[in-house]
Amino acid sequence: MSLFWIVIRQLAEIEAMAASKKVITREEWERKLNNVNIRKEDMNKLVMNFLVTEGFVEAAEKFRKESGTEPDIDLATITDRMAVKKAVQSGNVEDAIEKVNDLNPEILDTNPQLFFHLQQQRLIELIRNGKVEEALEFAQEELAPRGEENQSFLEELERTVALLAFEDVSNCPVGELLDISQRLKTASEVNAAILTSQSHEKDPKLPSLLKMLIWAQNQLDEKAAFPRINDLSTAALEDPA
Amino acid sequence: MKESNGKNTIEKSDQDQDLGLYFLELCSRKVKEELQDYNGDGDDEEKEESPSELNTINSSGGFVVVATDKLSVKYTSVNLHGHDVGVIQANKFAPMKRLVYYFEIFVKDAGVKGQVSIGFTSENFKMRRQPGWEANSCGYHGDDGFLYRGHGKGEAFGPTYTTGDIVGAGINYASQEFFFTKNGQVVGTVYKDMQGPLYPTVAVHSQNEEVHVNFGQKPFTFDLKEFEAQERMKQQVKIEEIPVPTNASYGIVRSYLLHYGYEDTLNAFDVASKSTVPPINIVQENGIDDQETTYALNHRKTLRQLLIYELTWITSFISMKLIRDGEIDAAFGKLREWYPQIAEDNTSAMCFLLHCQKFIELVRVGELKEAVTYGRIELSRFFGSPVFEELVQECVALLAYERPLESAVGYLLKDSRRDVVADSVNAMILSTNPNLKETKNCLHSNLERLLRQLTACCYERRSLSGDQGEAFQLQRVLSSGKKS
Repeated sequence: MSLFWIVIRQLAEIEAMAASKKVITREEWERKLNNVNIRKEDMNKLVMNFLVTEGFVEAAEKFRKESGTEPDIDLATITDRMAVKKAVQSGNVEDAIEKVNDLNPEILDTNPQLFFHLQQQRLIELIRNGKVEEALEFAQEELAPRGEENQSFLEELERTVALLAFEDVSNCPVGELLDISQRLKTASEVNAAILTSQSHEKDPKLPSLLKMLIWAQNQLDEKAAFPRINDLSTAALEDPA
Repeated sequence: MKESNGKNTIEKSDQDQDLGLYFLELCSRKVKEELQDYNGDGDDEEKEESPSELNTINSSGGFVVVATDKLSVKYTSVNLHGHDVGVIQANKFAPMKRLVYYFEIFVKDAGVKGQVSIGFTSENFKMRRQPGWEANSCGYHGDDGFLYRGHGKGEAFGPTYTTGDIVGAGINYASQEFFFTKNGQVVGTVYKDMQGPLYPTVAVHSQNEEVHVNFGQKPFTFDLKEFEAQERMKQQVKIEEIPVPTNASYGIVRSYLLHYGYEDTLNAFDVASKSTVPPINIVQENGIDDQETTYALNHRKTLRQLLIYELTWITSFISMKLIRDGEIDAAFGKLREWYPQIAEDNTSAMCFLLHCQKFIELVRVGELKEAVTYGRIELSRFFGSPVFEELVQECVALLAYERPLESAVGYLLKDSRRDVVADSVNAMILSTNPNLKETKNCLHSNLERLLRQLTACCYERRSLSGDQGEAFQLQRVLSSGKKS
C-alpha cells in the first residue's frame, strides 16, 4: 500500500472518531451522579445567600432557625437596604436618597453615576406627577451642572427632559422612562451599591450556578452524548438524542 | 430503585426498606466524606502529588552539582558542545487536576554565558539538551529571551534574564497554554502542543551558572492567586452571558424549602415574593409537581423540629430522667402515629438511625452509663445484621475512648449528623406519598440534582480531556467574593 493510502485511511479513522462522540447511557450517568456528594450544609448556605441578597429578611430569619444556617450578613442591614429599594420602587426617590445617606454617606459620594441616576429618577417622578415647573427647576439646578461634567449624563438628562415636550407621553419616543421598569432598574442599582458597600456580592450565587450548569453541559456536549437537564424547574434528566 | 406499580403492598414495603438502607449508607458515607474534606487541606480536594525537589537520579551527571537540599543546581564544568547541557527535571510531573501549575527559579549566577533555561519536558526527554531543543519540550532561555519548542531554532518571546532575576514557568490548563514570568510579570504565553505528563525542567550550560528552584515551598514572586482569580473571572464573564429564566432561582429555592419541609421559611418566602414590585411569579410546571412536594409538609416540619429539638435537648443534662422514662420520645411517637409504615417495625433502618443518634447524643454529654443502658435496650437487636453491623459497632466504639471526639469514630459526634437523620426522616415521609411518581424524587431536592449534574459534567469533561483542569467545587464558589 502506498503511503498516500495509509495517510488517507488514518485521516478517515480520525474523522470517524471525532464524529462518534462518546455515548454515556442513562444508567452510567446516574451512577456517576450518585457518586457526587453535595453537602447539605453547602446547599443551605446557597439558599441563605439567595434569601439575604434578594432581601427576604423574614424568610432568612426563619431559615436560620429551621436549618441552623448562619447568614453571611447582618440581617438588620437587609431591612434598611430593602427600605431604600422599596422607596425607589414606589417613586419616593428623595426618601431613598436620605435613607442611603443614613446608611452610609460614602455610597453616593463615591458613586456619581448612581447619584445621577437617582436624581434622574427624581426628575422622572416630578414629570410623571405633572409638576412641570418644579421639574424644570430641578433639572436646571441639580442635574444640568452634573451633565456638564459628564457627556453621558448630559445625554441622559436631555432624553429625560424630552418627556416634557410631549403632552401624551404614551406616544413619546422616550416614554419608556416613565415605565415601571425604569424604577426597578434604578432600585436594583441602589441595591447593588449598598451590598457592595457592605462588602457583600451584589448578586446571589444561585443564578450564576445555573448558568454554570448550562455552560458545563454545553462543554461536555462537545465530547460526549449524555442525559441533560434542560428544564431547570423540574431538574429532570432527559435522554441523549 | 425497583419499579413499583403500586398494587402490591409487599413490594411497596420492600421499597421503603430499600430507601431506609439507602439513607443508612448515605449517613455513614456522607459524614465520613465530610470529615475527610474537613481534615484535608480544603483548598484542593484532589490529592495529586506535586514536584517537591529536583530529580538527582535522572540528571545529566558530570556536568552539574545539585545541592543537598535538591533545590539548587550549578554547572561545574566547562561546556564544550550542545550535548553537555546540565539539565534536570523535577522529581514529579506537574499535577494536572487544577487550573494552573507554576514554579519559579532564582538565577543565583548567570555564569560565563548565561545559558540558563526554564520549561517543561516529557518523561523521556533526552537529559543532555536544553528544554525546547528536542521534541516534546518547551523552554524559555535566558541568554536570548527566546522560546524554544521542539527544535533548536527559537522564536522571539520575551526579555533575556540573568543573575538576580526570578523566572517562572506555568501551565494554564484552562486555556491549554504555557506561560512564563520574569520578576513577577507575565512575559508571554504559548499554546501547549504537548499532551501527557510534563516535568518542570531547568537547565544550566556554562561554568558557574547556578539556579535555585522554588516548587512552592517558599512564596512565589509572581502573584499566582491573582492570576488564577483572573483566569476564573475570564471564564465567569463568558458564563454570565448565558441566559437563564429570570425566576428560575426563585422556583428552585422554593422547591428546596418544600422538599426539606422548611415550612416557616417557605411561608415567609411566599408572602414576601407576592409583595415585591413586581410580584415574583414562580412558574409551577404543573399542579402535580406541587402536590408531590407539599405532601405532608406540616408533618415533616413538625417532626424535623421535634427531632432536632430533642436531640439537642439531650445535650442539656436535665433530660436524663426523661429519656429513661421514654418521655423524650415525642418525635418517635409522632412518627409512629402518623407514619406507622416507617416506624412501626422497631427493626427498620429508620428506627435504627434514630436509636443510633440518641445513643450518640448520650455519649456526647458523657452519660456513658445511660448510653450503655440505652444501647442494650435499643441497639443490641441490630447486632449481627450485616447491614447495621458497621454503624452499630462504630457507635459502640465511642464508649471505648476517653476523648471520643478525637477518635476515629469522632465523626459520629458532628452536629451535622442530626441534620442528616432529620433529612432521612423527611425523605422517608416523602416516600410514603401515594401520588409519588418516582421514589428517586424524594431523595434529592431539585437544587441537589442540579448541583450533582453540574459537578458530574465538570468531572466527566475533565476525564475526557486527559484529566486536565480543575473540577467544579461548590465550596470554592461559596467562599469566593468574601475576601473583597
